[in-house]
Amino acid sequence: MAIESDVLVIGGGLAGATAAIEAARGGASVRLVAHKENTLRNASGLIDVLGYNGGDEPLVEPFEAIADLPDEHPYRKVGVEAVRESLALFDEIAGDLYEGGHTETNALSPTYGGRVKPTGRYPKSAAAGLASRTEDTLLVGFEIVTSFDAPLAAERLDSSVPFDVRGVTIRFPGEFRADARITRLATALDADELRDREQRLGTREALAARVAEYLGDAERVGFPALLGDDEHQAVREALETELGVPVFEVPMGPPSLPGMRLEDRLYEELDAEGVRVESGNPVVGYTADDGRITAVSVDRGRREVPYHAEQFVLATGGLVGKGIDSSREGVSEPVFDCHVPQPEERYEWFHDRVFDDQPYARFGVSVDDGLRPLDSSGEPEFSNLRAAGAVLGGYDMAREKSASGVSLSTGLVAGQRANEDLQ
Amino acid sequence: MSDAETSDEFKPVEVFPDSESMDLRGGADDCYKCSTCDSECPVAAVDDDFPGPKFQGPEQWRLKRKEDTEIDDSVMSCSNCMRCDSACPSGVPLSQMHNTARGSFVENGMDKLSREYIRNRILSNYGTLAWFGSKVPRLANAVMSSSVVQTVNEKFMGITAEREFPEFAQQTFREWWSERGGAEIESDEKRVAYFHGCYSNYNTPEVGKAMVRVFESFGYEVMVPPQKCSGTPMFANGMLSDARRAAETNVAELSAAIEDGADVIASCTSCSLSLRQEYPELFDLERIEDVSAHTYEALEYLRIHEDLSGALDESEIEPERYAYHAPCHARNQGLAGQAIELLDGVEGAEAEDVGDSCSGISGTYGWKEEKYDTSMKIGAEMFHHMEEAEPDAGMTECPTCAMQMEHGTGYEVRHPLQVIEDALVS
Amino acid sequence: MTDRVDALVVGGGSTGCGIARDLAMRGLSVALVEQGNLTHGTTGRMHGLLHSGGRYAVSDQASARECIEENRVLREIASHCVEMTGGLFVQLEDDPDEYFEEKLAGCRECDIPAEVLTAEEAREREPYLTGDVKRAIAVPDGAVDPFRLCVANAADAAEHGARIETHAKVTDVLVEDGEVAGVEVEHESGPGKRNHSLPGTTEEIRADHVINATGAWAGRVGKMAGVDVEVRPSKGVMVIMNVRQVDTVVNRCRKKGDADIIVPHETTAILGTTDVEVEDPEDYPEERWEVDMMIETLSELVPILDDARTIRSFWGVRPLYEPPGTGTTDPTDITRDFFLLDHEDRDSLPGMTSIVGGKFTTYRMMAEKISDHVCAKLGVSAECRTAEEPLPGSEDFSVLRDYMDEFGLRSPIGRRSVQRLGSRADDVLETTDPNPTVCDCEAVTRAEIQDAIDGSGSDLNAVRIRTRASMGNCQGGFCCHRMANELHPRYDEPTVSEAWDELVQERWKGERHALWGEGLSQAALNYQLHATTMSLDRTPEIADFGAFDSGVETATDGGERTTGSRSSSGPRSDGGRTERGRDGD
Repeated sequence: MAIESDVLVIGGGLAGATAAIEAARGGASVRLVAHKENTLRNASGLIDVLGYNGGDEPLVEPFEAIADLPDEHPYRKVGVEAVRESLALFDEIAGDLYEGGHTETNALSPTYGGRVKPTGRYPKSAAAGLASRTEDTLLVGFEIVTSFDAPLAAERLDSSVPFDVRGVTIRFPGEFRADARITRLATALDADELRDREQRLGTREALAARVAEYLGDAERVGFPALLGDDEHQAVREALETELGVPVFEVPMGPPSLPGMRLEDRLYEELDAEGVRVESGNPVVGYTADDGRITAVSVDRGRREVPYHAEQFVLATGGLVGKGIDSSREGVSEPVFDCHVPQPEERYEWFHDRVFDDQPYARFGVSVDDGLRPLDSSGEPEFSNLRAAGAVLGGYDMAREKSASGVSLSTGLVAGQRANEDLQ
Repeated sequence: MSDAETSDEFKPVEVFPDSESMDLRGGADDCYKCSTCDSECPVAAVDDDFPGPKFQGPEQWRLKRKEDTEIDDSVMSCSNCMRCDSACPSGVPLSQMHNTARGSFVENGMDKLSREYIRNRILSNYGTLAWFGSKVPRLANAVMSSSVVQTVNEKFMGITAEREFPEFAQQTFREWWSERGGAEIESDEKRVAYFHGCYSNYNTPEVGKAMVRVFESFGYEVMVPPQKCSGTPMFANGMLSDARRAAETNVAELSAAIEDGADVIASCTSCSLSLRQEYPELFDLERIEDVSAHTYEALEYLRIHEDLSGALDESEIEPERYAYHAPCHARNQGLAGQAIELLDGVEGAEAEDVGDSCSGISGTYGWKEEKYDTSMKIGAEMFHHMEEAEPDAGMTECPTCAMQMEHGTGYEVRHPLQVIEDALVS
Repeated sequence: MTDRVDALVVGGGSTGCGIARDLAMRGLSVALVEQGNLTHGTTGRMHGLLHSGGRYAVSDQASARECIEENRVLREIASHCVEMTGGLFVQLEDDPDEYFEEKLAGCRECDIPAEVLTAEEAREREPYLTGDVKRAIAVPDGAVDPFRLCVANAADAAEHGARIETHAKVTDVLVEDGEVAGVEVEHESGPGKRNHSLPGTTEEIRADHVINATGAWAGRVGKMAGVDVEVRPSKGVMVIMNVRQVDTVVNRCRKKGDADIIVPHETTAILGTTDVEVEDPEDYPEERWEVDMMIETLSELVPILDDARTIRSFWGVRPLYEPPGTGTTDPTDITRDFFLLDHEDRDSLPGMTSIVGGKFTTYRMMAEKISDHVCAKLGVSAECRTAEEPLPGSEDFSVLRDYMDEFGLRSPIGRRSVQRLGSRADDVLETTDPNPTVCDCEAVTRAEIQDAIDGSGSDLNAVRIRTRASMGNCQGGFCCHRMANELHPRYDEPTVSEAWDELVQERWKGERHALWGEGLSQAALNYQLHATTMSLDRTPEIADFGAFDSGVETATDGGERTTGSRSSSGPRSDGGRTERGRDGD
């Protein structure tokens, strides 16, 4: 009844937030509805733009490679300038949380699997760890953090990078159960809990003392990304002071503290731009009139409430975020039932080796150049609906390392177009 | 169980030998292990005795066999803030799993004569305690605030002496309501049944009064049916039989009101969440779905059914700056942004959101002597943001969050309905 | 290590391991060679049913009697591998009464305890059964973990001096002077425990008697010896559900057919199966209709299966055998009985015996019979003791006491660990080091993984079948790399990487048959985790690290300068602020 806005964005991840911020900056009143927590906290926090196109050679210049992508790729829909613009917007929003905006070339980041990965922007907390720098490196892991084995990652990394890498596993200072969550360790560093009562050391200092034994001639030290939550900067600085060398985080996840920090920053920006954010209830349906959506229905616990708007942005995520759904019968987009191109035969959704070029990884809606989802005959499903982020099909974000870049650029364009069409 | 169940939603059934517990193993089907619930859990972040909702929910359930009934005791460290529910991108029934497991643990694994059990039973039956207190409010307030009593509570009951016991009002909401002669407006079209809960009745009747006046200003006939505790503190303490008894009364009374054409309104977001979500998840009572479907939080209801923002846009109050905290249980109902959005329209009102962290008290959790420190650690982020906001007062929908905000910062805390009453009624 | 033994067993399935144990316990020197992991062939690809004999009570009463007998034996000697779930033969409204009566009578004739339940009683036991239940027969079916059972047999054989070689493929059967004298094997990574990085070797193992216990592969080994063993491999699909919808084995009470059984197996439920004859036990089509049929047909019995999550599917190949000339056309009609082929009598080739046909539940009895036969050939008179001596892990069940407190584990983790380890729990779980959970879905801790590595080398698939790690709902998405991490530093990085890749590929093999709904979301998440966050999907080829961005330097004037890293100097620390390398020009 009384719930309305110019633009309604469905989905609260990177794409949805970017669309909402962009539309709000253009002057629209914007509401963002999200069902549950988004997938940012599952992702590493690195902002990948385009890491590979085809072979095993990582791309140095991601923007230059965009023209070589196939026509159905979302980057080709929005164009390379929009990708640049969206990264500039990201740089502005992320502020001192991120680095990498000074250049158009990719950086190489170490992963917690011990490989290097081409990426466009990286958290400041990960900056000192770039594999495209040359300092000898010590990686530190913790006995109870089973996901990250520092000596193994170091051995793998060492075999491929032009600097020395060593790894060591130590006990996290303090008494923790073996199944303490990563957030628990981050909180202990945040609060700098006094753990070592005899030596009167705080957690940060105690940790540095343990690492110092193994420092040797390492010129930088990397930890799994759990160096504090709210206080991450202070935690890192304290460790750097104690150790006398740069300290960095190796992006992890899920759960990902860098992802959570980015999420906080995005939501601060949404707030600053006056975007109304509601989370907790799913959009389950819509009403349309003459090819235009007039309202969507939000399910608020056994009843549906209409949310009216002029323009709508679908940014509900892909298979992981549940913006794309599937059953034994087929693949679908659950909110507006937009057409999702797919092989009819389920056994053609996949190939037999896990890292083959998997058809399922490209599932999503196909769109026109204005990012409007297309029906099976190639016509826009609705004149005032745009799609952004992982709900889009036609690209494999994992294979080509392009997840965040696609979300940012399509979010930006969806927000801009929605705003333009208000006039 | 109905025959040949083939709906698309997993329906738990009673499988395990004790009648309190249901088979929720199928709820683990939706979990893809992303750990978002763990990263949202305020307890796991400060207390590693609690292994997090993913273990406590889908993992523990999936590992069960029919004859396995014992539950890991760490379930008692869960504060029932239910943030895991609003975190899960995949619809795992986390809090339902926790509630059921906790009920089963208390039933099968807890000594009924233990101090912990007795303390939890008393805390979760706050309504009964408050009923006694309200009979002699001055005496009760004096007794409860005496340091001797507080020490005794802590030593023998395990109730922290750090907190001041909430003060009982001189006149309960229900006493005021009957003195007033009930509803001032009658209407066949617009009728609501007010579920005031224990706290608005015994401790903060001004919130209940605000609710009545605001709804009457929109032309609603307000009913105040007989009622018992919503069950929130009982769920949190695994006292499912107590909760069920209360639910039987509430469902009977509220469904009768619904039959009379009313929708159910709560001013406390935990009460509305309980009626909406926990009731149908945990109990199989006649008309329980009906009550769930007709229950709303007060402002949510006006926002949907009236032009509330329009009315507020034209209103004005004495300038006042609020630091608003959205209770976790409001977040769960998608109501976290609502109060700020509404107050933005009111001339003079300034409301700042102090972030999405948990207040840490989670009803009875922060009252327990052994949980007090954890509760304050969880609340630290909110206290910090409140101080930074430099408000005139705090604001929240949840009475226990309000308690924690006052306790942690010293600010007086109001309910949004009270501010809206100022704007629309006075 | 000896290359000269009394008896050499080819095949590390249940029968082969059972024979190795039996003969070793009788004092013979024994070697067992297996081309893959233990259970690699048919044993690791069955539904895990411990037959009461009820399924054969109408069609094959001899087998039924053997089943109930062995069922009782295994409960005693393999208690940590067996879960006595009980079983139901469920008759639905439209199923024929005659068959139900025949089944009941058959069970009683075969001495299988059988009780008739009303529809209400059946649904009280299994609440998710359809409302269309007419009545049911309760029998003592059970569930058995074939991996654990096989590994325990092999471990006990080794305990009695047997040499067990996995990843050792027989490349030739040595026939000398018209007699089998041993085999030639190819060790994939040298003899002993598997270590991916060691080079392959070839070895001749000589034996007084060779036992061909290779099931569906028996023809291949026979051929190397120059004899015909005509096994008729028949494939069957099994679909694994994420959770146990039933805690009892549920059979459809009607004439044998496809998709008529649900077995609760550890944390899952397994739906089975089909019966289609195939040419080659290693290469046959795995088809969608088979998966769909399991779900569609069995949801007539348990309706929620239709909506429940499937985590993977796999196929097994039955080693069916018929004496030449029987001429049965439908594989479902071929007997499940086993046959001992004495090649001396049959083909005038002394020194070798083949065993074909049969079924998992009676593996021990088969092993006993063939061991008797081999002992007679070799003139050994020792008695079989395998029916009395418990397997390692099942010796002393008092360990099932307060396990969770004892090992400092959360109760469900302690409970599951002890259910898997049985009486070995104390040995395995007692540790002073932190013992975090490595596989969350199946509650497998580091100590248990390390114990499995002790037993199986760098082979993570062998670790998997010993512990169930990576067999839960994420299918290894969150734990394959953690399991691989546990191999380091015992094994170097290239070995660990190869082991990881092998495990991930094996997981995908079954997972791809469950790619819809939550299964597809899980696959997408796993893919992103492996290929994006860890980037383990490829080895990048980088010609010039210096061409990539190496960060910004915060200049003293507060501005930023772009740098490359070609000539970067070492970093220095200055009160926590770091000076980054920079390009000279």
